[in-house]
Amino acid sequence: MDKDFARRRRRELIVAFCLAAVAALVPLFVKDVYVQNVMVLTLMYAALSQSWNILSGYCGQISLGHALYFGLGAYTTALLFTKFGVLPWFGMLAGGVLSALIAMALGYPCFRLRGHYFVIATIVIAEIGLLLIQNWDWAGAALGIDIPVRGDSWLKFQFTRSKLPYFYFALALACVAWFVTWWLEDSKWGYWWRAVKDNPDAAESLGVVVFNSKMGAAAVSAFLVAVGGSFYAQFVSYIDPESVMGFQFSLLMALPAVLGGIGTLWGPVLGAVILIPLTELTRSFIGGSGRGVDLIVYGTLIVLISLALPRGLVSLFARPKFFWRKAAVR
Amino acid sequence: MTVLLETRGVWQRFGGLVANSDVSISVGRGEIVGLIGPNGAGKSTLFNLIAGVLPPTQGSIWFDGEDVTGMRAAERCQRGIGRTFQVVKSFETMTVIDNVIVGALIRNTVMRVARRKAYDVLEFCGLAARANVLASDLVPSEKRRLEVARALATEPKLLLLDEVLTGLTPVEAKTGVELVRKVRETGVTVLMVEHVMEIVMPLVDRAIVLDLGKVLVEGKPSEVVRDPKVITAYLGDRHAVGA
Repeated sequence: MDKDFARRRRRELIVAFCLAAVAALVPLFVKDVYVQNVMVLTLMYAALSQSWNILSGYCGQISLGHALYFGLGAYTTALLFTKFGVLPWFGMLAGGVLSALIAMALGYPCFRLRGHYFVIATIVIAEIGLLLIQNWDWAGAALGIDIPVRGDSWLKFQFTRSKLPYFYFALALACVAWFVTWWLEDSKWGYWWRAVKDNPDAAESLGVVVFNSKMGAAAVSAFLVAVGGSFYAQFVSYIDPESVMGFQFSLLMALPAVLGGIGTLWGPVLGAVILIPLTELTRSFIGGSGRGVDLIVYGTLIVLISLALPRGLVSLFARPKFFWRKAAVR
Repeated sequence: MTVLLETRGVWQRFGGLVANSDVSISVGRGEIVGLIGPNGAGKSTLFNLIAGVLPPTQGSIWFDGEDVTGMRAAERCQRGIGRTFQVVKSFETMTVIDNVIVGALIRNTVMRVARRKAYDVLEFCGLAARANVLASDLVPSEKRRLEVARALATEPKLLLLDEVLTGLTPVEAKTGVELVRKVRETGVTVLMVEHVMEIVMPLVDRAIVLDLGKVLVEGKPSEVVRDPKVITAYLGDRHAVGA
């Protein structure tokens, strides 16, 4: 019983390690810059969605305002670098900590709301954040910030000639987000979060301080998303409010997890690997901005998945194991 | 026998409705006490006040020599009050063992220890064979036992059972009664709310009858069931002895 569980946990680690190793080898064979670009974005969204999943999937507090933390990460890094010459690595950390603190400050009133009211609050707060940045002259207002190019270096985390460093960083970020989730899943917090999602009253009666659990989930989730935002700022080297804090980012963090399996370890990765290339392909296939068409594609996918596999794509993998387990009991 | 739980002059008003008025009861260490009464007598309200779901309008609640009136449910659980819910509240997307682990975590922070503990509790409650099943796949009587298991995993000094035996088949109810006896043998004090008298009366050491928000009668089960006031409360004036 104990052994079975430990073995399952170990197997997950091994599978993740193998997948990461294979992913790390892919750029050796794929030299096309456009495809590499898509791969970077896929890994980034896998990491973001994995982080979103901690608060919204495990703890059940559906946020459609995570673009706020993404933007905060991007802006903190870019502002610290352009205004004060602080290296992006420190900016990344600062953005993460700032986002975690803001997530807790916002959680203080918002976690008293339940269900749809909480979701609405997250959307509204992210929109307020967007408007504030758009009107903040020191931070470039609606024009945004152009991150000056100072030559390729890991120290300044800038690379103009190759996308490979970004690829490996995005891969590392996705691995970290996955590992944090894996580790939290079998910790006190992981159990508390799932209990809070399923039934807060029962959780409270078992000694779970529901409010603190939500705050913890929000902080971890916001921190990791902000690191993703910092990375994105370095990757595109130009940010403006719409391009890092727009509502579409909140959606793009939520959708892979929902598609792959909300509140599951592998859901966000699986969802991102399918959804993000599909988005990029439809965009380039349709030409022009293509915005709108990709949204139609998501919408259709989500409707189909929620009708056919309400627990997400990961349930396709879980099913045979379930049969096997049943057979073993009998 | 020392007192474990005591309510002192507890009142609970919901707007104009008085659900509990001046209720003072006490439960001794190691006892099984039944809290009974007809529908609307205020049993569930009193139960929720003791569990810490809401604070009383007036009065105080003492547990293990400490005033717990202002404490939330989670803090009371930490102090040693475990409870079940009348309408079962399983964590439906989690497996049976994971449900119990949530309870076990309050005393054991090392995951391996908590898991072991949860498994032992499941065995004690006769649910070990269902450990890896999703809680949503359990049948109603198993869900009731899961409620008890989850609460026991928090290692309570006082276990509050809210109609755990109601709505079960006679065979299921019998295993339920045996489980409650087993729980008491491990040194846990039990306060159980029940609606159906014939199930609880053979089980409890003492019965407290509530009616219209007040303590009507309190005493040995055999005396309580013969008390004319109790019969009147349950069945109306016509059935009262000697009326």
